[in-house]
Amino acid sequence: MRFQLTFMLFFLTTPLFAYDDKAMSELFIKYEQVMSYHKVEIVDEVFTKKFLKENGGKDEFIEKVKDLPLKKEKKGLGKLLAKWKKSKMKNIFFAKIKTESSPHPESSFIVVEEDGKLKIDGTVSDED
Amino acid sequence: MKISRLILLLLFCCYGPWLSADTGALISTPDLSQLLEYPSDQNPEWPVELIPVEKVEYKRNTKASFCIRPVEMIDTIVIHHSETPTTSTPEDINDLHLARGTPEDPWYMIAYSYVINSPYAKKLEPMAKASEGRPLGLVGAHAGTDAYVPMDEEQKKIWDDKKILCGKENEEPKFDPSLIKDGLIKANVTTIGVVVIGNYAPFSQDNPGGYSRRNPRYPSVGTQDMIARLSCQLQKKYPKMKNIKWHNYYHSTSCPGTIKSYIGQIKTMAKEYGCDFN
Repeated sequence: MRFQLTFMLFFLTTPLFAYDDKAMSELFIKYEQVMSYHKVEIVDEVFTKKFLKENGGKDEFIEKVKDLPLKKEKKGLGKLLAKWKKSKMKNIFFAKIKTESSPHPESSFIVVEEDGKLKIDGTVSDED
Repeated sequence: MKISRLILLLLFCCYGPWLSADTGALISTPDLSQLLEYPSDQNPEWPVELIPVEKVEYKRNTKASFCIRPVEMIDTIVIHHSETPTTSTPEDINDLHLARGTPEDPWYMIAYSYVINSPYAKKLEPMAKASEGRPLGLVGAHAGTDAYVPMDEEQKKIWDDKKILCGKENEEPKFDPSLIKDGLIKANVTTIGVVVIGNYAPFSQDNPGGYSRRNPRYPSVGTQDMIARLSCQLQKKYPKMKNIKWHNYYHSTSCPGTIKSYIGQIKTMAKEYGCDFN
């Protein structure tokens, strides 16, 4: 009984999404590897299944990636992620990026957990 | 039996307050109309029936503050795209906007006053419909917090009469002078947001849900017509609404993508319904 109670207390008070800067940063390094360096073999590690399906499927998504200019020098990896926060109302995160073309973040990336990992589930236009 | 009761108790103790604190709207709240003392029957011809507008019961965050305004303050309709899939519902957008708030700056409800669901050009789904967003009497949260615009004499009078008030539900609203800067007023006060659900901007590092440049997405004639009808319907009730603008008119953003190129066409369509927009 005491064990059950302790277990329940532990379970109920431990945050379900204990992600940190490192986990989020790693996701956006992978994102940059896909988008800037066309490392398309890791697309599944970066985007949710739902996102890829909504965007015409993995193959179509990869085609779009390959249409983007390919960066040659791998410098500056890890600088893409500007800021992120966990929503208090849903088990989702919102992240903003800063790119060379748009230094002021415009959209928010929606990040969720899938298969125990953080993945990008889409973006939402930035209102305020 | 005892263990299950204990589990229920623990669930309530640990998650109950969290749930009520962050999703305050799930708690019983007064109807917004109690807060918005604006006449709804100024024009007996309303609704004009140019387009049916579906009512949506939105969750609201009662911990968030918002501002109320006389509808006569509004002179501009601002077109947006949601950047989400076309299948997103108005409730999905509301959930996202509520979720995006922070404890320091919580969001009250969906930022836009109207939501248009419609297919891209040459697509058949989803089924087209227009829905209400936040009430017109609530200052929007769509044009950009740093966007300011000039006021005309009528708007200045409304401001001077302190008819634009801010606060939270169940609190007495207060006058907020910070809505004005250098004689200009926040664009959100004089505009309403109309969002077209979908992602009309090109694929890029900023916008991974965007369209392929080989296969751009455009608003269908039906979508343009819906925006025109909705705008005209609003102008017939509120003649002060004389302008149609787009999100990146106010600040740098890719929103509303290719829809921006069709604003002229939309204004022409609105003319056919008896309206005139700048």
